[in-house]
Amino acid sequence: MAQELKVTARRVVSVTLLDLQGDVTMFAEAELTRAYHAAVDAGARALVLNFAGTDYINSAGIAIIISLLTEARASGITLVICGLSSHYQKIFRMVGLTQYAEVFETEEAAVGELKSRSSEPA
Amino acid sequence: MSSEKRIIHLHIPSELGYEKVAMGAARSVAQAMGFSNDRILDLQTAIAEACTNAMEHGNRLNAAQRVEVVLTVEENALAVDVNDKGKNPQFGEPEIREHDKHRGMGMYIIKQLVDEVQWSAKPQGGQVRMVIYLEPKEEAGA
Repeated sequence: MAQELKVTARRVVSVTLLDLQGDVTMFAEAELTRAYHAAVDAGARALVLNFAGTDYINSAGIAIIISLLTEARASGITLVICGLSSHYQKIFRMVGLTQYAEVFETEEAAVGELKSRSSEPA
Repeated sequence: MSSEKRIIHLHIPSELGYEKVAMGAARSVAQAMGFSNDRILDLQTAIAEACTNAMEHGNRLNAAQRVEVVLTVEENALAVDVNDKGKNPQFGEPEIREHDKHRGMGMYIIKQLVDEVQWSAKPQGGQVRMVIYLEPKEEAGA
C-alpha cells in the first residue's frame, strides 16, 4: 500500500539534485539520509530536494526533512526544496518548514538560484 | 447525492500505508458532494494524519487491530470519525502533546485543515472527529 521512497542523485553543473520518487513518510528516513550523505560525501555543497515525483508526504516525513535541513545548515550545506504541489507548499508553510529552507516552484528556478549564488564573488 | 444522511464505515488494518484507503474513500465522497479539489486535499491530509496517529499510538501498529473510519454525509458537511482501540486516554489538545514532535505536528496540521476537530478518549478507545463544511462556517462575531 505504501510506496517506498527512492532517491536518485544527479548533478546539474555545481548543483546536486536529489529526486524523490514515492512516499515521504517515516519509512523514508533511511533512504533520504543515505542519499543526502552520499551526495555530501561526494563533495556536494548545494543541494535541491526535488519533490516532483512524490504525491504523499505526512508529518513523520516532514520531521525527517526538517532534521536533514537542520543538519545541512549546521554543516554549511545549502539545501533547498522544489517540485512541491501547491497543497504541500501550503503544508510546509503551515508547519514552519519554510523557515529552514527556501522553496522553489520548479527545478529550473532552484538550480538557477543556486548557480547564481555560487558564481557570486565571495 | 441526496441530502439524506449517508454513513460509510471502513475498517483498515493498523499498518502504515492503509490510511490511503480512507483517503481515497473520502475523496470519492467529497467529490460527489461538490467539495473543491483544494478542500478535498486538505481533508485527505487530515485523515491521513488521524489514521496514522490511531495506528501508531492507539493500536500500537498491531495489524490485527482495525482503525475504524466513519464518513457521515450531511446536507452541508462531511464528518469523519477515526476510531482506534487504544486503552489509555491518549488524545488531548495538540499543545499538551509536544513530547512527541511529529505526532504533535500531525495534530496541528489536522486543526489547520478542517473546520472542526475534536479529540476524545472513550472506554473503547480514542476518537478524532473532523468536519468540513461545503460553505465554511462564519467566524463568531464576523
